[in-house]
Amino acid sequence: MKIVGRHDEAPGVKTLRLEFQDPDDHEQFKKTFRTGMFGLYGVYGEGESTFCVASPETRKEYIECTFRQSGRVTSALANADIGDLITFRGPYGNRFPIENFQGKNLLFVSGGIALPPTRSVIWSCLDQREKFGKVTIVYGARTVADLVYKHELEEWQNRSDIDLVLTVDPGGESPDWTHKVGFVPTVLEDAAPSPENCIAIICGPPIMIKFTLISLKKLGFDETNVYTTLENRMKCGVGKCGRCNVGSVYVCKEGPVFTAAEVSCMPAADL
Amino acid sequence: MITQEKYRSKAKKLLADGSVKMVIGYSPGSTADRRRPVFVRSFDEADQLVLDSNCIGNLSGYLVTEGLLSDEKRVAIFLRPEGIRSLNILAAESQLNVDQIIIFGFDSIGREVSLLLGEHAGEFSELIGSIKENPPEKSSDPLLYQIEQMNPQERFAFWKEEFSRCIKCYACRQSCPMCYCRRCIVDSNQPQWVNTSSHTLGNFEWNIVRAFHLAGRCVGCGNCDRSCPVNIPLRLINARMAEEVLESFDHFAGMSITQEPVLASFKKEDSETFIL
Amino acid sequence: MTRILFSDKLDNCVTRWQSAGFTVMGPVSKDTFSSYATVEHASDFDLGIVLPDRSLKELFFPQTEPLLRYTIKQQVINTEDFNPPSGKRLIFGVRPCDAAGLSIDDPLFGWDYKDEYWFQRRNDSVIVTIACTKADDFCLCTSLKLAPDSTNGSDILLRPLENNSGWQVEELTDRGREAFLTIAEFLQEASEPTAPIAVVPEMFNLDTCVAWLQNPENFESKFWKDISMRCIGCGSCTYLCPTCHCFDIQDEGDTYSGIRRKNWDSCSFALFTMHTSGHNPRSTQSARWRQRIMHKFNYFPGKFNVNSCSGCGRCSRQCPVDMGITETLQKISTLHS
Repeated sequence: MKIVGRHDEAPGVKTLRLEFQDPDDHEQFKKTFRTGMFGLYGVYGEGESTFCVASPETRKEYIECTFRQSGRVTSALANADIGDLITFRGPYGNRFPIENFQGKNLLFVSGGIALPPTRSVIWSCLDQREKFGKVTIVYGARTVADLVYKHELEEWQNRSDIDLVLTVDPGGESPDWTHKVGFVPTVLEDAAPSPENCIAIICGPPIMIKFTLISLKKLGFDETNVYTTLENRMKCGVGKCGRCNVGSVYVCKEGPVFTAAEVSCMPAADL
Repeated sequence: MITQEKYRSKAKKLLADGSVKMVIGYSPGSTADRRRPVFVRSFDEADQLVLDSNCIGNLSGYLVTEGLLSDEKRVAIFLRPEGIRSLNILAAESQLNVDQIIIFGFDSIGREVSLLLGEHAGEFSELIGSIKENPPEKSSDPLLYQIEQMNPQERFAFWKEEFSRCIKCYACRQSCPMCYCRRCIVDSNQPQWVNTSSHTLGNFEWNIVRAFHLAGRCVGCGNCDRSCPVNIPLRLINARMAEEVLESFDHFAGMSITQEPVLASFKKEDSETFIL
Repeated sequence: MTRILFSDKLDNCVTRWQSAGFTVMGPVSKDTFSSYATVEHASDFDLGIVLPDRSLKELFFPQTEPLLRYTIKQQVINTEDFNPPSGKRLIFGVRPCDAAGLSIDDPLFGWDYKDEYWFQRRNDSVIVTIACTKADDFCLCTSLKLAPDSTNGSDILLRPLENNSGWQVEELTDRGREAFLTIAEFLQEASEPTAPIAVVPEMFNLDTCVAWLQNPENFESKFWKDISMRCIGCGSCTYLCPTCHCFDIQDEGDTYSGIRRKNWDSCSFALFTMHTSGHNPRSTQSARWRQRIMHKFNYFPGKFNVNSCSGCGRCSRQCPVDMGITETLQKISTLHS
């Protein structure tokens, strides 16, 4: 795919907008992609890396992906220019069943670099806003600089049909920060969204997911109404190489989207 | 078996009075002549310890298991002379503190097992010195002798054939007490210095890189050779490297805990004027 | 009356199969190891060994397999797929445990997305197994509810005759039948008693073990740390196992050209599940050993209804520190009671 857009989100974090070169591949993508699915993005000679597709299922003319530069492949992707070609394999995995969320309230909880997969769901719902009830987004990062999609955060802040709660970790605030300060699970409990007719979608580092699930339980959310996506180490993406096997699931085939009920059946030590 | 009983009682005493928190030794294996490493932590468990001529593996590699010695308690370990040399090297390379190790030294000729006098690393220099002065006869290892007679092209062909079987399982690395790098060179991918595929180039790269990394450090314990699932005679490569190092630098690995690693030190008498 | 292949006719069969276009393979011994390899004549076979050191898996899932070649010139990327090699093979003298290993991996390689490299080779190969008349201390097929004369994964089963002069032929699949049609003239109808199959004592009660593994409370049991203390994480067991199939995908080359390869990998390696962030879900050797056992006897059968182990015993035979599946499952079956 060709890189047609490139944006620095935060220190070390970039977003790439990609366009298909082969119309057949594009048709195939349009037919199969649903929000929550992931792909393997690569550079020949370096390898492939797994990230979610950060763009929503309502906008399939391009693919967006957001990643932190941390290893060999992500460094090569970060150094690629507009016009360069990279490889994409996918979309793989299962999806968020958003048609089942219609008519319900939505609570999105995310942290740091884990906003991209959530963002895909958020826009998929916002692009069909009338089908959903109240939308609450709770998002936090370590510092103000680490918040990703800053322009979109501003847009969501200004919309009257979204309730956005932003937070940074204690010590991460800048002098002109007007939003909350505190860890995401704590801020979530303070905001106390009602579990009534509400679906929660959470994504974050393993430790954040663990504590957020506890908070949601405290707030009265049922585990079958809480969805999350697991970002395990993957290689083949098609359920063969064994790397993403956790408990009895292969995250690349039966995930990465799971309900909290399904996650609680997985051996916690292996996550 | 007198020798076995002696060490077993000694192990029990040390565990009972708290001098050591663990004794690393051998216990019976799944067949009559197999022995497996065992980690005894209490007086009652000490009856599992055995000592006979089948106790061959070099156990010193377990001493650098992450976290084992970080509580500053002491550990006792059964070691043959080459194991004691490995211990010296680990200490010289700052991987452990020899004050935490109590050595149950032993050796065997045929089926006879003899106990070595001494408990601490510094007490074996005479023994190791005499091993250095009395290397085994080349002809005692038929395959080594055979290779020594080959010319360079024949040797290359021989090793190409042997390495073609390598499946990159890294059992040689895992079983070697000297291979303790947290991230081995083959596991680095920026850049990928050594390929992970087992084609001819990949196999040569791996085995030769490892041989060089062990030059002047290998004690000839044979763990690598025994653990290779496809029976590549790895001991011969390392034995040859050890010989080269002895000839060029008069360096015999594992003489003491203060011995400088040969490829990490430079002396004015060295024949090269620079690193290469 | 049954059809017998007398061993003095084996060389004729090999020649006939070769002229029918098969590459004939089978257990071959060199001085230090044995494996399944190509033979020219029947005399190259070593059918007397209990089983070859290396498993049959390598013939279907090689240690390194090129997937595609890429060349990049001035922003234009060309890729060329490496097609799975085609070419008929007849593998003679396969041990039933090795053949069973193939049938265990078939559902995984065919799950949803079909692995053409595996299936091309499977479809091109005729597996002729010989029932075992001797076993060693490490064989454990009976504990896995298989047997020295299992037919899983096999196209033809040969039962050795009591007087050791040949084998009784049992045709199991159409593929096997076709291959043996080409050598029909070398077979004879006769009544020859077959040798008794090897006695392989049951090492543990599989059902008890699986029940213990399936109990979520046992996931955090202290047992895992104790049993795996001496494991050095070397990967030998996974590499020699006829059913282990984890792999890695690596690009070898530079910015201008190279090959993307599929190489064996092992869940016993420390970096197998390492995330780039530095978080490693399975950071201790005991967690990795637990994963191996759980995957083989709990997760894999949960998905594919078959245990991922055929009882060949190579893991125990080869382990440098004398561990293996047998010891672990034996200890588990004592825990339960």
